[in-house]
Amino acid sequence: MSPELDSVATAFVGSAALTSMFVVLAMIGTLNHYHRPIIPVLGALMVMLSCTYLLAWADGTAVDTLTLRMTMSEGVFAMLKLLPFVFLILTALLLEASLRKRPEDPLLALLESESGSE
Amino acid sequence: MSLWATQVWLGLSIAVIGISMHRTGPAFRRHPFGTPVALLGLAVMLIRVEEPPSPESEVVSAAVDTAFWAIPALLGLSLVLSGAPLYWRSRPLPLLAGWALIAAGWLQYYSTSSPSLADALDAGGSLIGILLSITVFVLCVRTAERMTPQEPETEGLDEKERKYVASVLRRHLEVDDEP
Repeated sequence: MSPELDSVATAFVGSAALTSMFVVLAMIGTLNHYHRPIIPVLGALMVMLSCTYLLAWADGTAVDTLTLRMTMSEGVFAMLKLLPFVFLILTALLLEASLRKRPEDPLLALLESESGSE
Repeated sequence: MSLWATQVWLGLSIAVIGISMHRTGPAFRRHPFGTPVALLGLAVMLIRVEEPPSPESEVVSAAVDTAFWAIPALLGLSLVLSGAPLYWRSRPLPLLAGWALIAAGWLQYYSTSSPSLADALDAGGSLIGILLSITVFVLCVRTAERMTPQEPETEGLDEKERKYVASVLRRHLEVDDEP
């Protein structure tokens, strides 16, 4: 496998594992009486472990906590590389939002006229 | 796993739990513990006595390097969002301050990073990985919901409840209680 493809595959596996870890943590953070978290948590754990296994298999190492940490670290690096693109898209969207004129809203106009008459 | 490596992952986990807690509840009243828990997580991740081992040291280093442009960018984006004419009139002061911070964020990013095609390819791989994980989660949630037994249909209101609801509606519509 070429180094570029290897890097993309590592970013893919790492991001999938890290997102699954975030899913598990998000379910812990939002736990409530109506939650049924067992199946989603099992699914997320399965993705995490599969990704760790794939990375260990590709590197020819054992599946242990070091490989798990390596997988999560690769996920962090990959997500940090994604951030500038997210920033670029948000900048473009907010540029459009800043330049546009707010559409006339009859309800808001009524509210403004009422607050002005007081 | 060393204590310092554990501290990094524990801090990250606490921060994500805090952010998730903060997103619960209505927009005007977020969970009161969300922000403190997230800040505690960041503090646990960043404040330490010894340098963590590899790969955690690289993770912290990359996160700190990103924070130099991501923090002004995030502040700028939220200021522009509050100043742009989305829901109300345009507010020039937050809008200008926000765009100044966004520009500072981009300047900082280009002064410290040199984006390449390989980075773009990695970002694409990362996006597909995130989408795969979210798809698995959505399928699992759908399965869990399908397996949940349906609750019996609620019975209709009895006469006493009907009178109570009617009186509440009359009071809110400012109609006399007696027809």
